Amino acid sequence: MSKAQYWARVHIDHTAVPESTRLARYGEERETGAGMSTGAVSPQHPAVPVRHRLDIDKLSGPQLASFRAAMSKAMGISDDRGYGYQAGIHGLPLPMSCDIAHGRPIFLPWHRAYLYSFELRLRDQQPDVTLSWWDWTTDPKIPQAYSEAVVGGQPNPLFSGTVDPLAVQQGAQAGDQRAAVTQRAPGAPGAPPLPTAKEVKDVLALPAFLDFTDQLEQLHNNVHVWVGGHMSDIPFAAFDPIFWAHHTMIDRVWRMWQLQHPSASFPQRLLGQALPPFGLTVRDTLDANTLGYDYAVAGASASGTGPQRATGHP
Amino acid sequence: MSVFVSEPLANPGAAGAAEFTRADLIFYGVDHSGPSFEARIFLNTPDAGLSTPRDPEAGYAGSFTIFGHAGCAGDAGHCDVPTEPADPFDSRPPHPLTRQTKTVIITEALRRVTVPEVTITIVPVRPGRLDAELVDSLDFGEFRLLTYR
Repeated sequence: MSKAQYWARVHIDHTAVPESTRLARYGEERETGAGMSTGAVSPQHPAVPVRHRLDIDKLSGPQLASFRAAMSKAMGISDDRGYGYQAGIHGLPLPMSCDIAHGRPIFLPWHRAYLYSFELRLRDQQPDVTLSWWDWTTDPKIPQAYSEAVVGGQPNPLFSGTVDPLAVQQGAQAGDQRAAVTQRAPGAPGAPPLPTAKEVKDVLALPAFLDFTDQLEQLHNNVHVWVGGHMSDIPFAAFDPIFWAHHTMIDRVWRMWQLQHPSASFPQRLLGQALPPFGLTVRDTLDANTLGYDYAVAGASASGTGPQRATGHP
Repeated sequence: MSVFVSEPLANPGAAGAAEFTRADLIFYGVDHSGPSFEARIFLNTPDAGLSTPRDPEAGYAGSFTIFGHAGCAGDAGHCDVPTEPADPFDSRPPHPLTRQTKTVIITEALRRVTVPEVTITIVPVRPGRLDAELVDSLDFGEFRLLTYR
């Protein structure tokens, strides 16, 4: 198989992207660029194609079905591979591992490691899936993929999640009584507004990392409270399936900021800090391609003439 | 506390004061152990409340949102934040409920305030089923109003 044939199979089709959905809205001309479609992960795998996360509203029917299938399978597993355990890493049951991340400089690295770990869990169940993002600036409501209770006669795994019973029990002990199945109250009276494209653009323009992460976390907090219900407080937020789409958007904005500020540095003293329980350090998270993924505004792929190789979706 | 109203501060953005390109309100020692809420900030609107609109005309300057810990799920002492490490070789991460710093960029709002003094009003709001609700969760150590050239 020639190199050209190989790349024909993993080609990312940026030409299909409506201009209005491009990063230009945030003052950037491109989402990803040449040289960012592979991640050199080891000498044995010098140029492995990375997977590309897509907008949840832009997934094809089969892509969305595959994502739902992965979530359903994960929700059906009761051990540490399953959805409940993974969601509980963020909050209850104790320990609340995300406590080292919120309001601190490692907010973005910790959550990038969390998404990376969860995405791999999903791919263990359904090898072709990636996480997808919810762009609240263009879709200022719960995305349709997450808003329907039943899809095709089956419960929609993106509509709600079951909360770990121990988390419910511990929450009640703390005076925070929650339902055993996640609920939302999007845009309830008094909720902070969802971030606008201008606000994201303003945050992306901040040149210093600590300033950037501080302001981006503020937008992140607003979305949690806007969604309401279980999403609105730390202990239960990750049990709601929309948590992952929200945080994938946050991670995407960080990726965009990194592309816009290639010479910006991360605080040196924090690079070696561990991000438990993921087995990664801050340094490990700084290059998304090294973690095997990137972001694209649209994607398409086709078979070539040589042997098939699973590259993930798209 | 519910609504916080500061003492009048010398306005660093007053007419005739130094030029600035950015103005920040920085809150130190912000408690995040309780439920989530949004802290809406108004300049020179000491009677701001739940119904005060987020309009420049009403002195609205921005907000910060606490993504809250929602109480203490551990046993007695689990959520007690030590004031300082008991062991000088203790390199564990800080206690999860160590208070936070919140920075709100208020450049444009402060430009609109040209009088010599400015008061800061903070309205802590939590979404309610039927209407917004004032909460009693706002707790911070101090704040600074800074401008930058």
